[in-house]
Amino acid sequence: MKLREDTNYIVSGLERSGTSMMMQVLAAGGIPIAYTESRKPDEHNPKGYYELEGGKIINRLMQGTFPFESYKGTFIKITAYGLSYLPPGTYKIIYMERNLDEVLDSMEKMAWVTDEDREETKQSFKKLNEKIKKELRTKEHTDVLFMNYNDVLKDPRTNVQKVCEFIGPFQYDTTKMIAVVDSQLYRQRR
Amino acid sequence: MDEKTGEKKYTTISIPTHLAEKIKKRIQGTGFTSLSSYVTYVLREVLSGADTESTEEFSKEDEERVKARLRSLGYLD
Repeated sequence: MKLREDTNYIVSGLERSGTSMMMQVLAAGGIPIAYTESRKPDEHNPKGYYELEGGKIINRLMQGTFPFESYKGTFIKITAYGLSYLPPGTYKIIYMERNLDEVLDSMEKMAWVTDEDREETKQSFKKLNEKIKKELRTKEHTDVLFMNYNDVLKDPRTNVQKVCEFIGPFQYDTTKMIAVVDSQLYRQRR
Repeated sequence: MDEKTGEKKYTTISIPTHLAEKIKKRIQGTGFTSLSSYVTYVLREVLSGADTESTEEFSKEDEERVKARLRSLGYLD
């Protein structure tokens, strides 16, 4: 079974906000996703990153060279900053959000940094998140589902149901989708 | 009705006819397949966005800070 072939499907959100988890959930459900294994699973994403271009898709978006046509009817992952560079089109976007301090903790661990200007960084990402959400709400021909990572872990069943309702008619394997959510990988808790 | 719990999943709400007609025109050619799906989306957004919006602009300085972090994470060259 296929998704709509006139639509680009995207999983997005700030980095480290559960975007890889959501891609895994979709894949488990039998929903078409596209990714390469340029970036291998590691301690930060033991189940994989599920991204294209080794995660550097944003560069292609900024250059206007990303082939959106080739990915219609398939979910791809584009993190929040990249959404500012979406060309006109029809989109369905699942936008992940997570406690911002948890996001920053996870980013610092992944990048092996201790941020001396943590509060400024936090405010910058907060403003980016709000800017993107505002743009998505008013973007033409764009349907958005905002999901909270912390809520998904607490109640995978209800949140998987929301995802399925949002995507529309499809033969989902919801049992496998729910099973993907692994609270043992919920680290950097606040 | 949810067969397992017996709980009602949906509630019927009335809106003025002229508003419904405006919405139908607005959603033509979009990913929304029904009046209900669009109205549900709008109401979710109102409820989720009401308490979290900030009026501060995302400045050039903010953008450079974000990009620096994305480079350190391998998301930007």
